[in-house]
Amino acid sequence: MRRYYLSKLGQALVTIALVVLVVFTLLRFMPTTGYFTKEEFREMDDVAKNAYLRSIGVLDPTLVQLKNFLVKLSHGDLGRSMTLYPKSQIKDILSDKIKYSVMFNAFSWIVSAFIGMPLGIAMAKNKGGPIDSAGTAYVVAVRSIPSIIIHFFVQVYVSRLFNLPMLFYIDNPRSWILPTISLSLGSIAGYAIWLRRYIVDEENKDYIKFARVKGLSQNYIMVRHVFRNAIVPIAINFPSDFLLLISGSLIIEGLYSIPGMGGLLIKSIQALDNNLVQILVLMFSTLSVFGVFLGDIFVSFVDPRIKLTDSPE
Amino acid sequence: MEARQVTDFHCLPDDLFTRADFREDLVEETGFSDYSYWGSTIRTFFKSPFVKVTVVAVLALVTFTIIFPYISDADPYKVSLSVKDWNQPPSEEHPFGTDGVGRDIWARVWYGTRTSLVLAGIVAVLEVGIGVIVGAIWGYYKQLDTLMFGIYNTITNIPSTIYLVLIAYVMKPSILTIIIALVSSGWIREARWFRNRILALREADYNVASTCLKTPVTRIVSRNIVPHIMSLIIMDAALTIPASIGSEVFLSYIGLGIPAEMVTLGNLVNQGRSAFLVYPYQMLFPTAILCVITVSFYIIGNKFADASDPRNHV
Amino acid sequence: MKREKVFEAQNVEIKFNLRGKTLTAVRGASIDLYQGETLAIVGESGCGKSVFAKSFLGVLDKNGWVSGGHMLLDGVDIAQYKTEKEWLKIRGKKIAMVFQDPMTSLNPVKTIGEQIREVIAWHFGTDKEASKQQAIELLYQVGIDNAEARYKQYPHEFSGGMRQRVVIATAIACRPKILICDEPTTALDVTVQAQILQLIKKLQQDLNMSVIYITHDLGVVASVADRVAVMYAGQIVEYGLVNEIFKDARHPYTEALLLSLPQLAVKGSDLQSIKGSPPNLYKEIKGDAFAPRNPDAMKIDYEIEPPFFKVTDTHYAKTWLLHEQARGYVKELSKKQEERVKATPEVDSGSSEKGVLVSLRNVTVDFKLGRKKFSAVKDVTFDIYRGETFSLVGESGSGKTTIGKAIMKICHTSGGDIFYKGKNINKKLSGAELTRFRRQVQMIFQDPMASLNERAKVDYIISEGLYNFRLFTDEQERKRKVAEAMRSVGLSNEHATRFPHEFSGGQRQRIGIARSVVVEPEFIIADEPVSALDVSIRAQVINLLNQLKKDKGLTYLFIAHDLSVVRFISDRIAVMYKGRIVELAGSEELFAHPLHPYTIALLQAAPIPDPDIEREKRVIAYDPSVHDYVTDKPFWAEVAPGHFVWANSHEMAMYEERLAKLK
Repeated sequence: MRRYYLSKLGQALVTIALVVLVVFTLLRFMPTTGYFTKEEFREMDDVAKNAYLRSIGVLDPTLVQLKNFLVKLSHGDLGRSMTLYPKSQIKDILSDKIKYSVMFNAFSWIVSAFIGMPLGIAMAKNKGGPIDSAGTAYVVAVRSIPSIIIHFFVQVYVSRLFNLPMLFYIDNPRSWILPTISLSLGSIAGYAIWLRRYIVDEENKDYIKFARVKGLSQNYIMVRHVFRNAIVPIAINFPSDFLLLISGSLIIEGLYSIPGMGGLLIKSIQALDNNLVQILVLMFSTLSVFGVFLGDIFVSFVDPRIKLTDSPE
Repeated sequence: MEARQVTDFHCLPDDLFTRADFREDLVEETGFSDYSYWGSTIRTFFKSPFVKVTVVAVLALVTFTIIFPYISDADPYKVSLSVKDWNQPPSEEHPFGTDGVGRDIWARVWYGTRTSLVLAGIVAVLEVGIGVIVGAIWGYYKQLDTLMFGIYNTITNIPSTIYLVLIAYVMKPSILTIIIALVSSGWIREARWFRNRILALREADYNVASTCLKTPVTRIVSRNIVPHIMSLIIMDAALTIPASIGSEVFLSYIGLGIPAEMVTLGNLVNQGRSAFLVYPYQMLFPTAILCVITVSFYIIGNKFADASDPRNHV
Repeated sequence: MKREKVFEAQNVEIKFNLRGKTLTAVRGASIDLYQGETLAIVGESGCGKSVFAKSFLGVLDKNGWVSGGHMLLDGVDIAQYKTEKEWLKIRGKKIAMVFQDPMTSLNPVKTIGEQIREVIAWHFGTDKEASKQQAIELLYQVGIDNAEARYKQYPHEFSGGMRQRVVIATAIACRPKILICDEPTTALDVTVQAQILQLIKKLQQDLNMSVIYITHDLGVVASVADRVAVMYAGQIVEYGLVNEIFKDARHPYTEALLLSLPQLAVKGSDLQSIKGSPPNLYKEIKGDAFAPRNPDAMKIDYEIEPPFFKVTDTHYAKTWLLHEQARGYVKELSKKQEERVKATPEVDSGSSEKGVLVSLRNVTVDFKLGRKKFSAVKDVTFDIYRGETFSLVGESGSGKTTIGKAIMKICHTSGGDIFYKGKNINKKLSGAELTRFRRQVQMIFQDPMASLNERAKVDYIISEGLYNFRLFTDEQERKRKVAEAMRSVGLSNEHATRFPHEFSGGQRQRIGIARSVVVEPEFIIADEPVSALDVSIRAQVINLLNQLKKDKGLTYLFIAHDLSVVRFISDRIAVMYKGRIVELAGSEELFAHPLHPYTIALLQAAPIPDPDIEREKRVIAYDPSVHDYVTDKPFWAEVAPGHFVWANSHEMAMYEERLAKLK
């Protein structure tokens, strides 16, 4: 068992190392203008610029830069933003924004689980019937129409329909409703269609047929056998979902003017704010790798068969 | 099982109780002799009238897009200098109206559809093509696992938006950039998917049989493997199209897509969006066409996937 | 003594919707079941036996329905049940069922205890602690030791046989009156099968249950059944007491089925095989469904469906042969049969020239599973002589298939040498050498469904080797060779343009054989070539293999678990247990004088299709701890000429003594 955890941890660390290396190398291709504030860039001449770049270490070989970066990081120094939020500590920028994204993601997580899962079960039970068709139509629409279009129409029309605010105000809880709904649309569809397929597949399994033969009712089998087993593959995503609560949705935060994490990365890239880009990319990728690792660990508690990887029969 | 001796068979012609001719042809009669995989797949696929309608709609749309430049001389780029041509509602002359500088939206929509379909088509072909080839090699050579899983984990763990944005940024905005950006993040997922498929097929007894007969790998792939994954390839390509169109719209939204002066559905939708509250039709028409395309391809891909599964050949 | 009738099915008809067509899977079948008896329903796959039994519980697949007939249980016609709620009153409580595959019948992520406990709690509303106690008792009852601890374990922690015990415990949890066992031991090894059959017998007596066995295995039937119903093409064609069926079968299908069993055949002769395959149930069947496959059918068999005729008070058969007007014809047939028996077959002397073709020396195959090393084959040494059929027998996981694959060079080895025609092939061969080797050594696979490429035509499948070894000069020659190969396996040349899924299992297996023999190999490794086939088809393929051996002078390595087939087909047999060959001897010698305790257990466990023998039989379980190998190490040695055994010096002396006494 411990070996299983260690090997998974090893895999995760290797992946993180690879991601760091790739991202770091990619970013060396970005123009160096991103290390100056606008004023500095205008005022300095080339010699001064070069001297400055050398002084902050940007002209060192990539690996040396990487080492310096990691050393700083280990002291809790995330560096400063240069162009987007001139001279502000990245730490402060993030702590400001993360709370909005976490809030909306958490809301949407709850909403989508509570709507998506029952919808999936209803669809599976109603296979071929009207609920199934309606649910499928919903899933097809959400999955095939570009999300920006859907979110935009939700913002324009649903707000009109229920007289809800079209923009986000922190002190007006009614304005939180639409972004949450928008944010949940996709994951509702995800839960629903996944659960439906899972249940339909599961019903053809021998042990479900055997449970029927045992005389258990359909509802009992659904709850105690099918749904219980369905949790296993879903559980693998829980830690990831949780860690990535901090990543905001770019489109939704943009549409509703939520000052969250969503647009930050794009804006920082557009502003060539290299330090910020670096931190963000590394943060997101590390969290996602770590999420997968935790997912594996988590599932080993839910699924007794996982222990088998250690000592197969 | 009580005694059920029937009595009304008492006087039957004696001739019936003599030897009958033994007919070899009746003996070897087989189970489902009218079954053919592709025949059943196509039949199952077209069984639903809904699919028929969708396929016809897609065909009509694609055909119209192709022939549009030849049947109409409407110019999608022609700007009008006269203010009265700007932001016109739909009329006979401009079926979809005009935009803020008097360009004909009808023409722009069809030219845009053309660009977007070409883009999505190329992306689908490249992504699935590279995916199949790399997946096949990966599936056949276990030594590649460490390397390929490394690449897979790296690419999939850098959030895809970030990835698209970075590539689109590093290179100058153009159709080629978008294609490279989409393909370079999409191929590895396809490759892994096909690797798993091929790995499963590879272990199948009939492939072991081919190995025992010393069939060359190239022929094992072309005769034993490819025909089995053909339906997956088709389905996958069909599903990549709506995804690519969606990505193009997204890139255009964040301003990293194809340059705004070119017409694509993504650009049209986003340009229309800014004027939506005043002139809703400028967004609605391109959006409608775009949705028809993405939804249709999505449905076709999924329905085809269902139809190609022999378990559904009922 | 007439016992109380507990269940009766009358004229049950079951239909399915498949590929837009309606199939009649069960065409008016009737059975009755008495208190405490065991009824076996025997038939080949697709005859509708499983569907028939499932309908007693209302658990047909969604596209199937009972379209006619009655099923009487406690005076209620349960065939009229429409809702799930009605069925819930019966399932588990009055009628319970055990499925074929214990590996898939249990929920993998629930403890086995919970899966038994939930039935008790559900049906009787027993509280948690009490139902847990009952579940533990049940586990003891089905022979699971240390049940308190095992209660908390998950299915994957149990072996196949143990899982089937758990499944049985679940099924009997509510003391059902009727237990339906749908091929309960087909997925298990012979020795485990014997134990499970014994367990069911014991439980049946303890609980006074009636048991319905659904099976294709006549050996199992002989061992467990009081009465037998034979099913063919959706109908019961004959039923009677077990002795009446086995000793005095009247329906030509029952007769043919029994005659096709290798146990009853004379070695060296052809098995009596049934031609063709069961009929297509999409079509309307006229007359006797078996007539087209019966060379002795009468004209009336093609015209009118026969009714049941009485043989004795307990024995009925649905055949026109029992009609009074058929007496003359029956006489004629029996005269012919006598002549057939008199014409004793010339027994093939087998391997006349005794050159060694293949020889293995200390071959070991290790696999790495995760971090653990595991030896699938341990230090195996044997020779295969030219022209003989050498068999490897053993249970699943004994390493017999791995040896086959190692010789075939499609599996790595971890040590030892394999010589083919005196040349060591257990190393990297050059391209030309490998080509030569591949042409001479071919393989036949177990599963005819998996071993043919579904997307290629039969013509290509058979030509594959011809292309690879360039065995033809022009297209015409290739076509001629394909046609010849197809004819040699009994298929018509028109079939060449078809795809594999158009063929039945037996035909597919013959295509697989044609693919191998078309390159004119000298040595064929047949990996369980008949174990996936039905009894009637099995005989066709065994005959074919024997025929090809005679015609083409082939040598076989025959890998199997079915001892009856092995005994019939092989010249010499090696018995494997956990990667090691424990005994090797000539076929008759091994069956007459088995020495190793595992061989003895294996031979004992294999069911024999004779109810008189089966009833007397005692099952002996093999317990590896009888060997004391701590100080006295075992070795591989010849105890008698050609008779090898794995034993230590003490055991060896004992075996020698025993052999001397017997001879």
